[in-house]
Amino acid sequence: MARARRKRAQRHEPKEISVEQMIEIPADPYAEYAEKAWAFAHLPDAEPEVVDEKALHALIKTWRHGRATRSFSEVFQDAYVALFSVAMIGAMVVNVIIGSQTRAAACESAACLNGRLLVPWGMFFAISALSLSVARLFGPVLASAAEGFWLMEAPIGRGRILRGRLWAIIGGAFAVSAVLAAAVAAIAGEPPAVIVAWSAASGLASSGLVAWAASEQSRDRTSGLRVAQAVLAALAAIVLGAMVAVAAGWLHIEPPAWLGLVPWVFAAVGAVATVGFGLTAHRRLEYFARLRLTSGGSLVSGLQGAMFGLDLGLARDILVDREAVRRGHVRPTPGRWTGLGALVWRDVQRLLRFPRPLLGLAGAILAPYASDAIGLALLTPLLAGVALMFALIPTLGQLRVLSRSTGLARTLPFTTGQVRSACFVVPALLAAVWASATLPAFSGVTGGIARPGPEAAGVAVACALAGLLGAIRWQTARPVNFAVPMMATGAGAVPPTLVFNLIRGFDVAALVTAPILLNASPMWSLLIAFVVLLILRVGVNMEEMQEQAKEQQRLADAQRAAR
Amino acid sequence: MASRTPVLTASAITKSFGPSVIVGDFSMTVAPGEAVALTGRNGAGKSTILRMLVGAIRPDEGRVEFEGLRMNETNAEIRKGMASVIDDLDFFPDLSVVEHLDLLARAHGVPDPEAIVDEILAEVQLVPQSGQLPGTLSSGQRRRLALATAFVRPRRLLVLDEPEQRLDVEGVAWLAARLRAERARGLAIVFASHDPYLVKQVATRIVAVAPPGADEGADATADDPAQGAS
Repeated sequence: MARARRKRAQRHEPKEISVEQMIEIPADPYAEYAEKAWAFAHLPDAEPEVVDEKALHALIKTWRHGRATRSFSEVFQDAYVALFSVAMIGAMVVNVIIGSQTRAAACESAACLNGRLLVPWGMFFAISALSLSVARLFGPVLASAAEGFWLMEAPIGRGRILRGRLWAIIGGAFAVSAVLAAAVAAIAGEPPAVIVAWSAASGLASSGLVAWAASEQSRDRTSGLRVAQAVLAALAAIVLGAMVAVAAGWLHIEPPAWLGLVPWVFAAVGAVATVGFGLTAHRRLEYFARLRLTSGGSLVSGLQGAMFGLDLGLARDILVDREAVRRGHVRPTPGRWTGLGALVWRDVQRLLRFPRPLLGLAGAILAPYASDAIGLALLTPLLAGVALMFALIPTLGQLRVLSRSTGLARTLPFTTGQVRSACFVVPALLAAVWASATLPAFSGVTGGIARPGPEAAGVAVACALAGLLGAIRWQTARPVNFAVPMMATGAGAVPPTLVFNLIRGFDVAALVTAPILLNASPMWSLLIAFVVLLILRVGVNMEEMQEQAKEQQRLADAQRAAR
Repeated sequence: MASRTPVLTASAITKSFGPSVIVGDFSMTVAPGEAVALTGRNGAGKSTILRMLVGAIRPDEGRVEFEGLRMNETNAEIRKGMASVIDDLDFFPDLSVVEHLDLLARAHGVPDPEAIVDEILAEVQLVPQSGQLPGTLSSGQRRRLALATAFVRPRRLLVLDEPEQRLDVEGVAWLAARLRAERARGLAIVFASHDPYLVKQVATRIVAVAPPGADEGADATADDPAQGAS
């Protein structure tokens, strides 16, 4: 009853009034303020005092700590679920490493063993290129937009504020790269001494490169870093190709005995670079341009926001937008065809304009060969599918924009299914190319599982579909809706879809390749892929489905009331 | 003479967010050649009404129809006839200004799309920026590009949310003239605005929107000079 009264009170009819009656355009909207007496505050005439940067920073810290509402022990108690999860995931990772080492032990032929020797080399160059890329992207020395506005504008020394974070970033690069290299080397079945050597080499090389990037940042230079990054990425690709060629027996290498010392040489050079460039950057911290510092800080803020919702798609959007802004201008090209064909042709033009995804596709073609080469043949379908998924994600940019918000899709005269189908065309063609190029790998040419032609073709197509559908699912991910009813967890209320965000794409790739991994016919994989494609084509929006169910319920209630 | 069959009908639509009723029992009919302006203070519910009219959000109760079709923004027939520029428009980060318009014109099957795109581009004064990627445009230029998306494609209904935002004085004058011309050609227009000049120049009918229960006096239906038209 009370609710009905409230609803009546909230009802309103819009008031309709004539245009002439409503509109009186004031001649000067500011006239009424012309005579107003404003009260202004002014600074005292005394000279400003000298500011101690450390004291200022300590003051900010005190404010922050003063506003903390929970003690460390309380946070720790609440975080037990997270810690438990980390322990569980850690145990799983260790299990995967041990399992992989066991499988890799099956790699006994000379070709396979020699091919595996190259894994740490490829990993070293890849991690170095990645470190440099991330360092360039973020700065590497950065400051938040708030620090840029409130602190950098003040007459204080920037060096004392930035010093700690410079060395923290260099140290972080060392730690992350060393752990990553150790994990990859362990998965590849390398002995402990090799794992330690390459872990040290990768860690110190990364810290040296990040220190160099910081030194260049102080001079606002990037050209040398770009060249180095391209060279390192090219070296990683060459080593990967060589590894496949060696495993396939097309190339024969006899590793000399001194090769085992090379990672220590890399480590020594990295250590010298870390100290040398780190000190150079340290001395020049005062000269870091504010814009170069806050640019990385803004990016971090955006990415933090995206990661708060575990939204990897949004994180990638931020990076893509940033790259587009950096590029700024393109030579416009006229479209072709009309209707849905116009969308397809724009995807072709995108690929011609930004062909970098083709390099990723080339790398993904090598993935099943490389996986077989290092003795991971049983996992090859899944690894190949995931590699293709990552390669195809950049080719689905149009689908991403048309899925993430409805405004642009609404301007197109097509249904959601039609729009999505048009966006699938170019990536599907690339997946078909990938399937053709990886057919020899699935026939066992690099020491993997030998399959007869039709079965190998079925596996190649299934893996291509796994990668394509995984990429589509990754790109069509909707952001987490924090407005829906939450799940109660030990770490607080969590939206139900949050936890699934991290495995989006991977889940589809695993689902489609599961029958092959379980040694069943690839036809099962193709069947699963077909069903997944039908679902992804129209998109499943749980909230929309709930809305529709509510609407149906309302209609049914109305009909019952009418009877 | 243009048909008077309603292009858009909203029947007793309501929308609440949690306990807050944003729009309560709102009804409206728009015929071809009519321009309805929604006016009211910030928070009155104008944008929420427009979002329900274009199908971006579903009303909790009530019904919206476009030419007799129940509003569903994924319906291709509705998308063909309804152009909207509300706050959810997105851009492709890797397509230039002119390529956005070209794509849209081609998707709608506009004959000789390049000619119309060039004309509209000149009209919104974005020719110098035609090769720029959207992320580098100023907020005013982005607004002009958003408005241009409505004019390079066929349309029978135009829905605009505060289209004057970010436009300079000349831009608002152009927009008013353009919308008046569109109205004269039989286009149905619904727009929310805070700009008295734009409302006066374009609207054939004004609907003053107030939050539910905010001002009971103001909520009473006033004499409606355009009632006969709808």
